[in-house]
Amino acid sequence: MSKINLLLVDDEEQFLSTTKKLFEKRGMNTSTATNGADALKIMGQQPIDVVLLDVKMPKMTGIEALLKIKEEYPLVEVILITGVNTIESVMEALRPGVFDYVMKPCDIISMSRKVEEAYEKKQAMEKRAAT
Amino acid sequence: MVSDRFKRIRRMILRRALLAPFIIIMIVCGTLVYYFSVDLRDNVTCRLTCMANDHRRLIEQFLKERSFDLQCATNSNSFNELTHDGRLTEVLAQLQEGSHAFLDLGVFDKDGNHVAYVGPYNLKGKNYAETKWFSAVRKKSPYISDVFLGYRDTPHFIIAVRRGEGDGTWYLRATIDTFYFNDLVENVRIRKTGEAYIVNHEGVFQTRRRSGGAFMELDPDSNLYRIDNKTDVSFFSASNQEGERYLYAAGLLPQTGWVLVVRQEFSEAYAPLISAVIIAVVLIICGGAVVVIMAFILASGVANRLTIADMEKQEISTQLIMAGKLAEVGEMSAGVAHEINNPLQIMESERTMLNDILEEIETGHGVLDEENMSLLNDSVEQIAVQINRCKLITHGLLKFARKSEPLFQAVDLKQFTQEVVSMIEREAELENIRIVQKFDADLPKIMADPNQFQQVLLNLLNNAIDALKAKHGGEIRVTSVRQDDSIAISVADNGCGIPTDKMEKIFLPFYTTKPVGQGTGLGLSTCYGIVERMGGKISVNSELNVGTAFTVWLPLAENNDIEKAGK
Repeated sequence: MSKINLLLVDDEEQFLSTTKKLFEKRGMNTSTATNGADALKIMGQQPIDVVLLDVKMPKMTGIEALLKIKEEYPLVEVILITGVNTIESVMEALRPGVFDYVMKPCDIISMSRKVEEAYEKKQAMEKRAAT
Repeated sequence: MVSDRFKRIRRMILRRALLAPFIIIMIVCGTLVYYFSVDLRDNVTCRLTCMANDHRRLIEQFLKERSFDLQCATNSNSFNELTHDGRLTEVLAQLQEGSHAFLDLGVFDKDGNHVAYVGPYNLKGKNYAETKWFSAVRKKSPYISDVFLGYRDTPHFIIAVRRGEGDGTWYLRATIDTFYFNDLVENVRIRKTGEAYIVNHEGVFQTRRRSGGAFMELDPDSNLYRIDNKTDVSFFSASNQEGERYLYAAGLLPQTGWVLVVRQEFSEAYAPLISAVIIAVVLIICGGAVVVIMAFILASGVANRLTIADMEKQEISTQLIMAGKLAEVGEMSAGVAHEINNPLQIMESERTMLNDILEEIETGHGVLDEENMSLLNDSVEQIAVQINRCKLITHGLLKFARKSEPLFQAVDLKQFTQEVVSMIEREAELENIRIVQKFDADLPKIMADPNQFQQVLLNLLNNAIDALKAKHGGEIRVTSVRQDDSIAISVADNGCGIPTDKMEKIFLPFYTTKPVGQGTGLGLSTCYGIVERMGGKISVNSELNVGTAFTVWLPLAENNDIEKAGK
């Protein structure tokens, strides 16, 4: 299996730096962005398979970013990180285009498992699209 | 403290609502009793005086008539006629037909010899030249004498008339029946002790006095009489030697120089008056006492209710502030949870990092080299940092939620506002809201309870954030400026604004435009209460779709009354 290209989008710098190290230890190419705009920029520069997207972010909200990503890169899977356990968040999480959600605080093991599942789904979709 | 407030309220009710009417009624009653008693007293005076006057006139009239009768008899007969043939007896009979007061009759010559006499005594032939009455009647006719004993040795008085006939002078004298006259005078009765009698100008009794006083005795109290010759009857009161007090009405009998005295025992005269006044006063006092007692009961009852209501209000007010606080806390908790989740997430990552490195070392895939050591240290340090961050968040929330008595202290607005803003900064950031803070240079400190003022600011800021949630380019401006002797702190947003018809309601408790479950409506009403208690004012300015600005005025630290800290 080739390396998964992961993009972490969260407004907490500390979270990004530490989590990036952990994912890289687990063999994933990890890029980081602190906001939706930067995330899209990075996705334009390099291939990204899965995006871990924080819902509550300043400037462009997570949901806006999600819509934009799905618009421009429909095959990329997005996993939402929600920090607030509200029904609205869950509903938003179940929107089409979202693969799954993780709730803060989340341990790295669960997160990486979901990323792998998302990657598998992406592979499957790409195969179907190719045929 | 409770009984203080109770006493104060009761005193206020008594003083304002009851004291004035009570005093007025007492004055009215007092005035009525006074005039009533004055009237009664006048009554007594009048009665005695009138009686004395009437009686005086009666006696005077009697004496005049008897004198006149005698004068007639003198003028209708000559000396010779009267001294002969029993004419005198006829004349006496005639006189007695007119009045039974005539007791005897006598004729006297110019030398005072009793030349003719008809009557019960043996007086004919006696000479009266030396007698007082004879000397007097020679000068003045008719003459009425005082009571004297005379030859007959019995108390009597006479009327004498002089007649000049030709060259000679002769006199006709009649004795007035003392008992008849006495009855006439004495026959006046007022109750038990009222009596009438006559004394002469020296105070010698001319008639008997019922309560003690015989003919020709000197009235021991006569020196007490105050006779005013100008008026008909003089009215006075005096105490005699035994200490008994009497009311007197005395009038002059001009013909004789006698004084007719009507008197009554003081206590008897005024008995009805005194008993009436006493009854009235007792009734007033009893009535007054009942009114006072009722007033006290009423005032106590009302004061009690008011005190209880006061205390309940105080209690409710405190509870309301607490409820508002907790509601605020509840609303903030979502934000707070998010705030805490971030440090938790980071700590989780660091923990995983530590775990990974340790696993590597244990399984032999890695060594405890400098790089790994540094990574381990970094992680541990990062965990400490995040724990501290969580501590700040929880402490901030707990401090806010804690119930406490207002504690006034000098607050530096700039620092204070910055601290409070930092509490909601993150949430504002998430909603893309910009917060601008502006402070006057050299802003003086204000006297406030930091906890409660924090509650106010937080509420205003939260409201502003809510108003800007859906908007792009939302901005909140927090400014503090000095205005005369207060400071104006304003929180302004460029949000949806408040419609005019809702403006007056926003400070009402439980008024909210948010959907159920999202807003208790207690925020602004609590703010209002807190600001008022701090001696300040809160007001709002808003325009639909333009923005809203809430302004709080608080007095400066120097001017504020520090005693308010106890409220």
